[in-house]
Amino acid sequence: MFNTLKIAAAAAVVAGSFIAPAVAEDKMNDLEIAHTAYTAGNLDIRYAHLALALSEDASVREFASTMIRDHSAVNDEAVALITKLKVTPQDNGLSQALVKGAAEKRAEFVKLSGKAFDCAYAKNELGYHQIVNQTVEGKFIPEATVAPLKDLLKSALVTFKAHEKHAENMVKGLNCGA
Amino acid sequence: MLRIRKIGGALLGAIILLTAACGNGAFAGETHQVVIERFEFVPATITIRAGDAIEFVNRDIAPHTATEVEGEWDTTELAKGQASRLEFAAAGTSDYFCAFHPHMKGKVIVTPQ
Repeated sequence: MFNTLKIAAAAAVVAGSFIAPAVAEDKMNDLEIAHTAYTAGNLDIRYAHLALALSEDASVREFASTMIRDHSAVNDEAVALITKLKVTPQDNGLSQALVKGAAEKRAEFVKLSGKAFDCAYAKNELGYHQIVNQTVEGKFIPEATVAPLKDLLKSALVTFKAHEKHAENMVKGLNCGA
Repeated sequence: MLRIRKIGGALLGAIILLTAACGNGAFAGETHQVVIERFEFVPATITIRAGDAIEFVNRDIAPHTATEVEGEWDTTELAKGQASRLEFAAAGTSDYFCAFHPHMKGKVIVTPQ
């Protein structure tokens, strides 16, 4: 059985902040799911811009460029969908926790440089995509009730899983160690 | 080396002619399709005859390319729903990948006419 508590705990580690278990346990409505999915994509785009500003490693820069390109494409689809449905995504505790955690992570990252930054970014990308994918697959898709949103999440998950694999290869290639 | 004539569906108005496959420019071959879906080229290996064309169609949300490993040919970026058509004039084999997602790989085998 899918364990939402596990997601909350793991997300808290990755995000660097505590997410109350209730946040992940609560059933989310379509507008909250849309908001959080969009927010997660935007946060990864912000990480990627930071990587392009701070890293000189070709594999890291290539990965960051891919994150910007792909997450922008997914979020463009999301915007097109909410525009078509004439709805407004709804902010929620999980979105807020992700934003807070990412801000803390970025504050850590800007103090790093060279390989220290590359490894921190790469490992965070791997962890972030693992958690996001577990959440999209185990919570968002089952809980979404609007068919086009469910379809978009399924398509996005294919993209995010490719990112997870790409991040795994990046971490290995950088020889960051455990 | 394969000789390619590229007619990009995604590049309307910007046709890149690398070589003339036919004297008068008319296409006499068959057009095949490779669909890019769920981060895979389908079919991953395609066999065509010299003079045929392949239309690469991206059905994923994420942009992709089909790029020959040595850079001999390239669809350039294909957004969701976009397509690029390449003509393969000469026999040979070429491996290609997605420049944005390098784990995505495919092969084109061109047999003599």
